[in-house]
Amino acid sequence: MVAVNETSRTGRYDVRGLAEPDAEAPKTARIDGDSAVVDAADLSTRQINLELRRLVYGEGISEVTVTNPGAKHSIAVGLLTRCRITVDGSLGYFACTLGDGPEIHVTGRVGWSLAENMMSGVVVVDKNAGSLTGAAMRGGDLVVRGHVGARTGIDQKGGTILVGGNTGSMTGFMMQRGRQIICGNAGPGLGDSMYDGEIYVAGTVASLGVDCVEEEMTPRDDELLDRKFRIYRMDRPERFRKFVCGKQLYNYDTLEPSERKLVL
Amino acid sequence: MSDLFDLSDRKLSTRQGIDTEELTGKTFPYQFDATLVDDVDLDAATPGDDINWLEDVHLMSEDGIPAVFDRYTNAFLKIHFPIPEGREDEYARKVLIKHLQEGNSYGIWLKYRHAKFAQPELGSWLAGSPTVGENWRPPVLEGWEPPAGH
Repeated sequence: MVAVNETSRTGRYDVRGLAEPDAEAPKTARIDGDSAVVDAADLSTRQINLELRRLVYGEGISEVTVTNPGAKHSIAVGLLTRCRITVDGSLGYFACTLGDGPEIHVTGRVGWSLAENMMSGVVVVDKNAGSLTGAAMRGGDLVVRGHVGARTGIDQKGGTILVGGNTGSMTGFMMQRGRQIICGNAGPGLGDSMYDGEIYVAGTVASLGVDCVEEEMTPRDDELLDRKFRIYRMDRPERFRKFVCGKQLYNYDTLEPSERKLVL
Repeated sequence: MSDLFDLSDRKLSTRQGIDTEELTGKTFPYQFDATLVDDVDLDAATPGDDINWLEDVHLMSEDGIPAVFDRYTNAFLKIHFPIPEGREDEYARKVLIKHLQEGNSYGIWLKYRHAKFAQPELGSWLAGSPTVGENWRPPVLEGWEPPAGH
């Protein structure tokens, strides 16, 4: 049974985020032409997301600012249309996930799994992000101007992740496609078990993961880096190193003891 | 558009690969005529200041024919017109965007019938597209009765 608290909010609020029983958009946004401002201070996660969808789907609003987000989790998720959203503050985990089209700017920090499973769009975070940033991301640009935690871009299947600071351990773990640009240092196990994609690192690399190798930079790589740094108005570090999959794990080259017994 | 969706048009075979023609039961004019996609503006069609997610879309081949992969359908869309050398990826991306903007992607057709939550039908590719999924009801199989005890 899910605990639902009666509060002074406009509706019931499930503190664990499991039920979110109020399925109606609160309609509290201040709309001015093509833009709107949502004050999230007294709204639950579900109410904020319903209000965002009402505005961008129903009202055709193209620019929305969310104030007082209070580091709530799972905000601005599942938006499937072109729009610009500014979050004036910090967000919790699974922020801006499952997006296909929105351009989201977060002026504060975010928790883990930022922009997880993003299909297309742009997410820019001005400060730091937690672990699993860009997990399973499939397309779009994800920019974190500060530092990020461990396993950045785990299972990444496309898109570009640009980090202004350092990344933690196992960055690019099981990465399958896409690009990561790390301006600072990378922690241990960079690119562990990656299948494809490119990781560019300007700082030091603590250690490489299994089957991750360094490769020469090409003019095409420089074009990508120049373009992304220009678009997001960031200073490009002078020198990058490029890391890719060594492709030694694509096929077995040795047999397990049980397999050897079968073959012999 | 979605009103043309007809399940009986499908021609599913037992071969391993499944392409758009099999799933939809038809081909589309822009698969055969490059001039129909020449005016597609890739930058305008995608979020951000460059081609965004299309960066990962490249010209591939299916059954020995040039094709682009439609991730919304999980199937290839073949391209039958000659593609100028050096512009392979550009034309692959333009055909894909045209396909999505015209609502011909099989995955988008499924959305027309099966989306459970209100959302723009043509997603981020076309402004002002109709909303689908507002009045979803579970499909009912005629003559089916739930087993006793359920």
